Amino acid sequence: MSFSAARAALTYSALAHFSARFPPYNRRYLQSCRTARCIAAALPMVCFIGLWFAAADAAIDIEPRVGFRGVFQLGRPFPLEIELRNSGRPAEGVLDVQVWKRDTTRGGAPFAVNYRREVFLQAQARKTVQLTVDPDFISRPLAITFSSSSPAARAMKEVDLRRHFAPAPLLLLLSENNLLAPLASLAAAPQSRLIAISPGELAADPRALLGVSHVILYDQSMRDLSRAQLTALDIWLTAGGKMVIIGSLNFALYQDPSLSRYLPVRVTGTRRITFRPHPGEDGRSVALAGVLAQEAKVLNGKALTEADGIPVLVEASRGRGRIVYFALDIGRPPLSQWDGLAKYMKTLLMPVVFEEVSPRSEWNDAVFAQLVASPTFISTYLPFGSLFFAMLIYLTGVAIIPWLGHQRKWALRTIVIGLLLFITVGTVGGYLHFNRGGSIPDALLMSSTVLESSGDGYVEAQANLALFSTQARPYDLRLERGWMELTPVSNRVRENQEPAVIRQDGGGASRYHLPLREWDYQLFRMRLMDRFPLHLEFEARGDTLSMKVNNQSNKDLFDCWLLMPGQRFDLGQIARGARWSRNFPLTLATGQVETGMTRAESVNFRDLGFADKTRDILFHSSFFPRDGVARWPSGVAVFFGWVKQPEPRVRIDDPRIENQDYALFRAIVPLMQGEDE
Amino acid sequence: MSKNPVWRESIVVFFVEGHGYQVYFYLLAILAPVQFLSLYVPSLDAQRWSGSASLFKVCAITLLLLVVYFSLRVANQEFASWRFKPLKHWLREQGHGAALVGQAQLAFLAAHVALSLLLCAPLLVWAGAISRTPLERVGATFLLLLFYGMIYGVWGLAALALWERRTENRQVFIRCLFVGLVILSALFYLPINPVAFLLAYLGRQELSPLALFGLGWPAPWVHFTFHLLFGSAGYALHRSGLRREARL
Repeated sequence: MSFSAARAALTYSALAHFSARFPPYNRRYLQSCRTARCIAAALPMVCFIGLWFAAADAAIDIEPRVGFRGVFQLGRPFPLEIELRNSGRPAEGVLDVQVWKRDTTRGGAPFAVNYRREVFLQAQARKTVQLTVDPDFISRPLAITFSSSSPAARAMKEVDLRRHFAPAPLLLLLSENNLLAPLASLAAAPQSRLIAISPGELAADPRALLGVSHVILYDQSMRDLSRAQLTALDIWLTAGGKMVIIGSLNFALYQDPSLSRYLPVRVTGTRRITFRPHPGEDGRSVALAGVLAQEAKVLNGKALTEADGIPVLVEASRGRGRIVYFALDIGRPPLSQWDGLAKYMKTLLMPVVFEEVSPRSEWNDAVFAQLVASPTFISTYLPFGSLFFAMLIYLTGVAIIPWLGHQRKWALRTIVIGLLLFITVGTVGGYLHFNRGGSIPDALLMSSTVLESSGDGYVEAQANLALFSTQARPYDLRLERGWMELTPVSNRVRENQEPAVIRQDGGGASRYHLPLREWDYQLFRMRLMDRFPLHLEFEARGDTLSMKVNNQSNKDLFDCWLLMPGQRFDLGQIARGARWSRNFPLTLATGQVETGMTRAESVNFRDLGFADKTRDILFHSSFFPRDGVARWPSGVAVFFGWVKQPEPRVRIDDPRIENQDYALFRAIVPLMQGEDE
Repeated sequence: MSKNPVWRESIVVFFVEGHGYQVYFYLLAILAPVQFLSLYVPSLDAQRWSGSASLFKVCAITLLLLVVYFSLRVANQEFASWRFKPLKHWLREQGHGAALVGQAQLAFLAAHVALSLLLCAPLLVWAGAISRTPLERVGATFLLLLFYGMIYGVWGLAALALWERRTENRQVFIRCLFVGLVILSALFYLPINPVAFLLAYLGRQELSPLALFGLGWPAPWVHFTFHLLFGSAGYALHRSGLRREARL
C-alpha cells in the first residue's frame, strides 16, 4: 500500500471544500476520524499490556501460623492465621481449611469440616485471614486450599499439627516489659504453657481462647485492642477464663477505662510497702520491705490479702470466670529479685479447677422423635386441614358429576369431559398448593435452651438445636456472637454426606452451611455465654429456705417452680422488673404437695406437667430426663421457669423457615444442711 | 373401536348402566383414608422420617395393589357378570372373530386401568407434593402402575377365555395368582416383586442383580423382562382360549 502526498492533499482539499459547504457536520466527522486513528494506534499498546498481564497470572502463596506463637491446646479450638501472598494479577477465590472431626455418636468415625472465607487479593499484595479451627484429629494434616476460577491462582498447603500442640491449657502473657523472667518456669511446664504475645496477636474470636486458661496482664495498655478482641476477651472470661492483672508502677494505665473495666479495684496511685507472703513449707516468714504496690480501693471483689492497708490480692468473679488483681509490681526490684517470686506466682496461676457442671440436657434422635410427632409440632408442617377439605371436595365432585349426568341425561362424552376437567384442575391446583403454597414451611428450626445461672447476671446457655427440613435445599445457620461450641448430634448414617462448611466472617460471626434432603433433620448442641440479669439469692435458715428474686432482665418468666427434696412450690410468673422475697419450709407441712420422698432424697420432676405438649416433652425428656433422676445430687433445690419469647440462638435469614424457641432458666442451689449431708 | 360390539357392551354395562361405578368407589374409598391416616402415623425411622416423607410411597403401593387386584377382577368380569353376553354369543352366534373380541376386551381393560389411575391421580399427585417427591418420579410411578395393571390384568382375560363357564374356578385362580405371585416373588427374588421394585425406585435404592449362568443380570432388566414374559404368556393364553371357544 503506497502513500501519495498529492493524493492526500487532493483528498484533504476536497474534504475542506466539503466541510466548507456543510461545516458543522463535517468538522465532527473529521474529529471522529482523528479519534479513531488515535484509538487504532493505541490498540496494540493496550493489547500488549493486556497480554503481559495475562501472562503474569495470579500466583498465590500460603503462609499459615498456628495457634499462639505456634502452640495450641490439644482438643480445643485455636486461632489459625493464614497469610496469602499474591505475586500476580488480582485474584478472587475461596479459602478453605479442612480439618477432621470425630463423630462421637458413631464410634469416633472421622468426618471432614471445612472452614471457609471468600477472599479477594489485590495484584502484588498480601492479606491475612484469621480463622478459628477445631480439629479432633491431629494425626491428619490440616489442609489449606485457596481455589479460584483461574487454575493458576490456586494453592494448597498442608500443616502437620503434631508439631504444635500442648497437652495442657495455655497461659497468655500480655506485657510491654519482658516479664518472662519470674514466670520462666511456667514457660514449658507440663501442666501449663506460658506464651508471651503482643495485644495484636490476641484472637478476636472467643472460641480461639478456649484453650487458654489464664491471661496475664502486666504494665500493658489495652487501648490497642480492637472491639472484637475486647468482646472475645469478655466472653472468654465469663465462660470460665481467668484473668490475672498484675500491678505496676505505671498506675495511670490501670486507670484507663479499657483496663479498669476488668479491675475489681479502683487504682489511685503507688507506694512502697512491706509485703509478707504466706510462710513457705519450711515455716519461715519473709518480710519484703520497699515493695512497689498500687494503692487501690476494692470495688466489687474480695480482698484475699492485704498489706499496709492496701489490698494486695483481690479476686472477683465474672460469670463463670475469675479476675485476680495482684497489686505488687513484680517486674521491679526488690520483688523482681526475690527468689521466692516464681513459686509465689505459681500459686496465683494455679490451673483453673472448674466447678461441677450441672447435668447436661439430653438431645438425641429419641428426644427429637417424640417432639416431631407431638401434635403442636406436627401441625406446623403437615397440611391436615387443607388435605382433608381437598379430599372432601374432590370425592364429592367425582360423585356428583356422573350423578348429575345421569339425572340430566348428559351424553357419556359430556360426563367424561366434565370429569377430566375437574380432575385436571384438582390435580394441578392441589399440587401447587401442597408443594409450595399454603403454610408449610421449608424447614423448622427449633431451639431449646437451658439458661444455667452462673451468678453476676450471666448465664451459660446450653442450646439444643434441631433443623427439620421439608424440602431438599441448603441452609445457612447464622450463629449468634458469643457461641462457644456447636456440635452436630446424630447417630444416623447419611448417604453421600458432604462435608459441613463453616463460613467465618472477619468480625467473628459464623455461618454453618448445611444441605439437607426432604424430610431430613440435623441435631446440634450449642454452648454460649449470655447476659441474663435475673438475680436469685437463696439462704437456708434452720428449717426455712429464704429466696430473693430480682428480675432485671427484659424477659418474663412463667410456669416457675421451686423444687426441693420431697416438696415443690408453684411460683407462677416472675415478670420483668419483679422483686420479691419469700420463705419456704424445708420440712414437709400439711397441705403441701407430697411426692413421697424424704428430705434427704433428690428432687422429683416426674409429676410436673405442662399444657403445651412440646414443653412437656422437652422438660421430661431433655431438660430433666425421667431416667436421669440418679444424676441429680441429693440436698439441692432446683428453681426453674420458662422464658417468654426467648432470643433465638441461631437464625436462618429466610421467611420460609419457621423458628420455634424454648428457653428454661434454671438454678441449682445446694441446701448445705448438715443433716442432709 | 367404537363400532366393536364387545367394547360397546362393556362400556354400556360399566358406565351407562353404572354397574362399574362400584369398582371406582372402592378404589377411592380405600385410597383416600389410607392417604389421610398415614399422615397421622408419624414415626422416626432409624434412617428417615417415615410419616409425611413416606406418604407417596404408601399411596403408590396401595394404589398398585388396588389397581392390579381390580384390573384382574374387571378383566375376569366379576362385576355385573350377568350383564355380559358369553363368548359363545359373540364368537359363534354373532360370528365375530376371536381377534375382534380379544381386542375389545384388551381395550376395555386398558380403559379401566387408565380410568382408575385418572380418578386416583389427584390423590397420588397431592401425596407426591406433600412428601416432596420429584415430578418425574410421580410420572414414572403412573407409568409403572399402568404397566402392572395391564400385565396382571391380562391374566384375568386369560382366565375368562379359558374357563368362562366355571366362574368360581376363575375367581379362585386369579386370587391365587395375585397373592401367590406377590409372595413367591418376594421369597425367591425380591426385585421381581412389583411392590419391592416400586419401593426401591421411589427410595432411590439399588436392587441386587440376579446371578444366573455365571452372569449378573441387572435387577430392572430382570424385572421388566419377567413381567413382559409374564404378560405375553397371559396374552397368548387369552388368544388361544378365544380361538378354542371359536372352534367349538
